[in-house]
Amino acid sequence: MSRDGTGISSPDRRDVLKRGASLAGAVALPGGVISNAIAATSTTLVIAAPATPQSLDWNFDVSLGTFEAIAALYDNLLEFKKIPDPKQPGASREDIADHPDMPAGIAVQGKLAESFELDPAGKFIRFQLRQGIKSNWGNELTAEDVKWTWDRKFGLGAIGAFFLSTLGLENKEGVKVEGKYTVTINLDHPNPLLAKLQPNLYAPIIDSTKCKQESTTDDPWARKFLENNSAGFGPYRLNQLQRGQQAVFKAREDYYRGKPAMDTVIFREVPTSATRASLLQGGAVDIAQYLQPLEIIKLRSERGVAVDSVNASFMIWLELNAQIEPFGNPKVRKAMNFAFPQEQVLKTVFQGLASPLNGCMPNIYPGFTDKFWTYKYDPEMAKALLKEAGLSSGFKTSIAYNAGDPVQEPIAILYQTALRNIGVELELKKIPPATFYNAVSERKQPIIFYVDSPWCPDVGYSMTLYFNSKSFVNYSNYKNDDVDALIRDTARTNDQAKRLTMMTNAQQTVMSEAPWVFIAYPGYHMTRRANLKGFTYYTSNNIRFQDFSREA
Amino acid sequence: MSSVARSGLVPPTVPRAPKGSEARFQRLRFFFAILRARPSFAVGYGIVATVAIIALLAPWLAPYGPVTADPSVYLLPPGGNHLLGTDGTGMDIFSRVLFAPRIDLAIAIVGTFVSATIGGGLGALVGYYEGQQTWRRAVSTMVMRSADVLQAFPVFVFAIALVAVFGQSVKSIILAVAFVNTPIYLRLMRIQVRSIRQLRYVEAAYVAGASDLAILRRHVIPNSIAPLVAQLSVNIGWSVLLTAGLSFVGAGVVAPTPEWGSMVAMGFQNVVTGQWWPSVFPGIALCITVVGFGLVGESLEVLLDPERRHVLSGSLR
Repeated sequence: MSRDGTGISSPDRRDVLKRGASLAGAVALPGGVISNAIAATSTTLVIAAPATPQSLDWNFDVSLGTFEAIAALYDNLLEFKKIPDPKQPGASREDIADHPDMPAGIAVQGKLAESFELDPAGKFIRFQLRQGIKSNWGNELTAEDVKWTWDRKFGLGAIGAFFLSTLGLENKEGVKVEGKYTVTINLDHPNPLLAKLQPNLYAPIIDSTKCKQESTTDDPWARKFLENNSAGFGPYRLNQLQRGQQAVFKAREDYYRGKPAMDTVIFREVPTSATRASLLQGGAVDIAQYLQPLEIIKLRSERGVAVDSVNASFMIWLELNAQIEPFGNPKVRKAMNFAFPQEQVLKTVFQGLASPLNGCMPNIYPGFTDKFWTYKYDPEMAKALLKEAGLSSGFKTSIAYNAGDPVQEPIAILYQTALRNIGVELELKKIPPATFYNAVSERKQPIIFYVDSPWCPDVGYSMTLYFNSKSFVNYSNYKNDDVDALIRDTARTNDQAKRLTMMTNAQQTVMSEAPWVFIAYPGYHMTRRANLKGFTYYTSNNIRFQDFSREA
Repeated sequence: MSSVARSGLVPPTVPRAPKGSEARFQRLRFFFAILRARPSFAVGYGIVATVAIIALLAPWLAPYGPVTADPSVYLLPPGGNHLLGTDGTGMDIFSRVLFAPRIDLAIAIVGTFVSATIGGGLGALVGYYEGQQTWRRAVSTMVMRSADVLQAFPVFVFAIALVAVFGQSVKSIILAVAFVNTPIYLRLMRIQVRSIRQLRYVEAAYVAGASDLAILRRHVIPNSIAPLVAQLSVNIGWSVLLTAGLSFVGAGVVAPTPEWGSMVAMGFQNVVTGQWWPSVFPGIALCITVVGFGLVGESLEVLLDPERRHVLSGSLR
């Protein structure tokens, strides 16, 4: 939606129409006839994505296109500092390492906040906001916006409630306006994530002035408005959203950090990865998202195309449902890991672009350890464990996979063949993408694929998400009282050394009980036109349009 | 055909040709004469016979297991130990192509026969009772309007919906194939029966005191069934295509069951990156099979239609 309600200005409209029409034609035609004259040198960024944003309200939507939209339309109070990626020349990434010498022990800096003060005990954080920052509706950022944003989490629950519980923020009064540009978040108990959670993609600040105008008695938190519109302080505003087709974003002239280099962003839905790859190869788009490993390998050798491959927080694994027999028995779960042909899967399905998942959290996060990894492919060991579990003649089970993720079916087929060797009969169940996450969250499948990444680069946060018996994303129904106690204690202390020790112990227990079948860290692979610069990797595994510029 | 038969007093099924082995020999000679005159029919029978034999002998013909993944040989091009290459998980495409008709034909044949039985049976009853001033007329009308409703949906979308409702399994696909084909046989049989029931020999049977069921069974259905039989072959080919289509969009058989449509779907992502063989070979096999059944259907249309058969036999002399 345009700021003035009239849409886009004439020159921009022409540019958008030209490139939009080219792209539409390109999508309709085979890859070979795509003109490569489109990408050229304009300040329009065209992205081929698997899906357009479903909702623009980050309190309720976690779909792929929504991530990019939120990052473009909203800004956070804090951000991680950027460093050059050690593996990929020309790429940057967030500095998520522990920095005991820095104020919060991490490399965060102000974004919407000019400065911040963190209580050494971890019980409060005070933000001094930058003055003169305007939203896409022209309203100035004040402490009231921060307050209203947190109040909305209390009012609506959902994803906001997850943030509240993670921080241990129990009542609205915890967020206190101390002046027009000063706001404090106060906790009853110390929390080590108070600063670390602020750069999270889903912790941005909303323009409360606009939202209050759009709210009604029935909809006091402007849900309807924010579902299709934005009210943020980010670098872009939304010009158009045609779900299932495309979203168009326009750079804001009045963005407090200066107008982004890419003036217009066309975020086009192209569901098939092969088509996205063809469009990039032909020059019809600047970025093709979420391509298959073979396509990435092929594009690496294409002229005019560049691929940035960086280590990422993404993980792919199989949830072994502990409440469905025989997976309640850790010996069976371990056998399932020993029977998994991880090396072959990495070589064939991921084409060597992934690394082995040899732990139960992202290996790029501080506190990760792989010293408890023991599950090298060993069918004899798997058989012995099944025998110990009283299942020497094997058993029959099923695996559910997402029809929309092309790597999952071949992994399941390879696993099926491997399990046959130890007497386990595996039935494959293909689930449509639209209902797959329902199937995951229902926790009724014996084995189901899951791809995820914890967005806060913290060992306690990661372990809480997947292995706390009360976590809503503990889809394997894993429960261990010792692990629960370690997680609880880790969340209540600000002593990082102590936290790391406790979480190492938790990782040891989890790895020895194998609630997952550990598959891979797929990495993050940015496939783009070679003249597009500025790629930065974020732990939320999404791109931010404002990072990009085009080389002359 | 004699003048008595043309008048409708005698059912056309009354044998008029020579009896016994002589008759069989004559029919066989006539059949081969037709195949010589129309080589495309011979090609059709050849394809169908070959596909059927392959389906039966697949376990002995296939060099590898159809669902055995071997990652050490993934995406090998055609040649060497793998005649048609391997797919992304190292399964042998030749072996899978050989095993696929077991599933495709089983689904298509069973689904088609179920639909022909139900559709043909209903069509006979509807056609026989239509027009009568009884409650049966209301039932007939209701059946026909239900068929209209069923046929109002695009067949493929309807089949997907049925599989979605009944779950992804071979049984569900058979059910979907049977369901979408039933109205075709219903209409076909109804039209045939409507014309046959007015003939004199049917009226004669009625006057002689035969029951409706007996008239239908002895006189009406046997003389109405020829177009259905011709339709069967065409429909089997079409059902193979429907099965493959359902598998292609992910609503068909479960992976890694060897099935042509599923194989095309599994391999099509690789076409862009240059590995065309996982998709192309099953696609070719599918295409040939459908053409084969189409040609057989065309030949049956000729052979079972007395007039067209007469014209053809005239041209053979």
